[in-house]
Amino acid sequence: MNIKLKTCASAIALAAAALCAAPAAAQSPRPIKIGFVTELTGPWTFFGTSCVAGLKFATDEINKAGGVLGRPLEFIVTDNQTKSDQALAASRNLDINDKVLALSGPTSSDVALAMYGYAEQQKIPFLVPVAAFPQLTKPGTRYTFRIEPDAAGWGYAMAKYIEQVRPGAKVALMHSDAALMRAIMAGFRYQAPRSKLNIVADIMFPQGSSDATVQAAQVRAATPDYVIVSGAGAFDNVITNQLLDLGIKPQQIIHPFGITTQVFGWGQRSVGSIYGTFFDVGLDSLTPDGKDFIARFDAANNRPPSYVENYCYVTPYIFKEAIEAAGTADDREKLRNAISALNTKERTSGVPIVFDKNGARKEYMYFQEIVSVNGKRNYQSKQRFYIEWDPEVIPVYDLVK
Amino acid sequence: MTDAQILILMSTLSTGLILGAIFALVAAGVTIVYGCVWLPNASNGQFFLLASLAAWTFTASFGWTSLAAAAGVLILGTALSYLLEWILIRRLYDTPNRNVAYFVVTLGLTQIMTGIFSLTYAKWSDQFTLPPVIEGITMFGPFPMPNNRLLVMGVSLLVLVLLFVLLRYHPYGRALRAVFQNREAAALRGVNVRAIYRLSFVLGSVIIFLGGILFALAYSYDLTVAWTMSITAFAIMIIGGPGSVIGAVVVGMTFGFTQAIVSIFASPTAATFSYLGAMLLILLFRPSGLFKR
Repeated sequence: MNIKLKTCASAIALAAAALCAAPAAAQSPRPIKIGFVTELTGPWTFFGTSCVAGLKFATDEINKAGGVLGRPLEFIVTDNQTKSDQALAASRNLDINDKVLALSGPTSSDVALAMYGYAEQQKIPFLVPVAAFPQLTKPGTRYTFRIEPDAAGWGYAMAKYIEQVRPGAKVALMHSDAALMRAIMAGFRYQAPRSKLNIVADIMFPQGSSDATVQAAQVRAATPDYVIVSGAGAFDNVITNQLLDLGIKPQQIIHPFGITTQVFGWGQRSVGSIYGTFFDVGLDSLTPDGKDFIARFDAANNRPPSYVENYCYVTPYIFKEAIEAAGTADDREKLRNAISALNTKERTSGVPIVFDKNGARKEYMYFQEIVSVNGKRNYQSKQRFYIEWDPEVIPVYDLVK
Repeated sequence: MTDAQILILMSTLSTGLILGAIFALVAAGVTIVYGCVWLPNASNGQFFLLASLAAWTFTASFGWTSLAAAAGVLILGTALSYLLEWILIRRLYDTPNRNVAYFVVTLGLTQIMTGIFSLTYAKWSDQFTLPPVIEGITMFGPFPMPNNRLLVMGVSLLVLVLLFVLLRYHPYGRALRAVFQNREAAALRGVNVRAIYRLSFVLGSVIIFLGGILFALAYSYDLTVAWTMSITAFAIMIIGGPGSVIGAVVVGMTFGFTQAIVSIFASPTAATFSYLGAMLLILLFRPSGLFKR
């Protein structure tokens, strides 16, 4: 009898608890889930981790301000181990089990390409924050949108910069044999003769190279006005230092792109060198939001953010604007159309965000000069050049297959 | 000769000597352990990287000079090698076909260390550089050679000479070579085989650690260097003859110079393929390598 009484009492208590909990559950709206498949381990760990740091800043801000359409924005961050097969498996899992509204996250072009196929096939909006391989937005692309300008365009932009500062310049190229570098150099080689530049040396290093002294000597013997240096990972630093060791002046060195750790690596002896970027502490056009983001990121991470962190900071805001424009967070096709029709600006720098019919962004690039480098803590740079261009101003999809 | 030609010639020489000496050192470390203990250390690249990263930590986080960092890494490396031998390696000394067991064990170590580096250093930076031990440049005609690289070259070559002298003339070296050649016979002659095993593992590992430090002093590096160095060290050991220290030195130096020279006349890509192609070719005609143990 006692046992029966206890059972009844427990059942009543449970029912009462459930009744009380029901209104509470109804009060907390369902989150809008977005799958964020990025590189938390493997060779690209630094980029994936830096990206997530930027992403969290923006997500927190948006959710503290009330979320999107009254619902919190939730990025389900998943490790792809810098592997295409893992990225594909994670995308499938997020699509089928978590029923995410959209996909995002990769910072490696190889990984992004694997997700691209899945997103296009399954008709899932896919916003790529930091991957520059042109074929991610090849003609016919419908669901993939790329925030970072394509890498062949970076080469185009460099040629335009050199054309402006030294018409008819002699240029040497030194780069690693990696997809990103090959695309950059393809863009440069295409544009160089059109900009009346003369390529006097063109040296490609296999991945895993550790020394460039001999090639640096060959380049010096060719007496270029500028040397474009783009090594993979730490090799970029090796080429730079060995060029400087052999008497090439910092002012002659141009890096197609530079993130914070790269600038630290180049160090004080590279003061005067130029690097391309899409966001930087030294931009002339930083908005108050941009300055605030830099200050808070720096305080939290002991280094200023670069364009990698900025693009991942911008990503949740692009989703927010597009979901609000779509008027719903439950329809992938409407979200896709809203991203495609978006006409907004990066809140950190005021640069326009507009996608073309293939999901490529209206492209742009800054060229900064290194002014000072203070160890591994901070650096100063000065904006020397800014350029915007249409993604197909060069035959980008033919140049890089 | 024009200045440009001298510049290219001198840069080829310096690259060949520095890279060759570092390759030779690491391969010597690998081959000593393999030749004596019959332990093909698949984690040699990770040992190499561990030393480089530890030196970076001492300089970047603790503010040590590169010289102090190098000393610290060597002391820690020696202790770690002893510990590893005590915990893991010695348990397989008497196992039949222990080379296979060791290969699997060190593959496991590689995975563990790769995971640890990926969860730590890979998140902190994508590239690592040690400050130079000495500043300045020495001119060789028109060729400017940073003093720090000169130091790395000098130390690498000196250690190779010392290693040669140790193995050739010191009682330990003679005992080690005796165990290399015939373990049972060496034991009958009173050599403490297990002690020689222990010393060989520690010596070989410390040489790999030293290679990692010297490389970090000469070049910027990232986590991919472990894989590159691992492949290169094994290739050198196989061509030189497993267990042959002189083979490791000769082939290591040849690799360094081949890289430098082929990259002038062909391309850096061809240079990388050239020595791996040479390895396959040599193995066709001399499967046991160029030098005997």
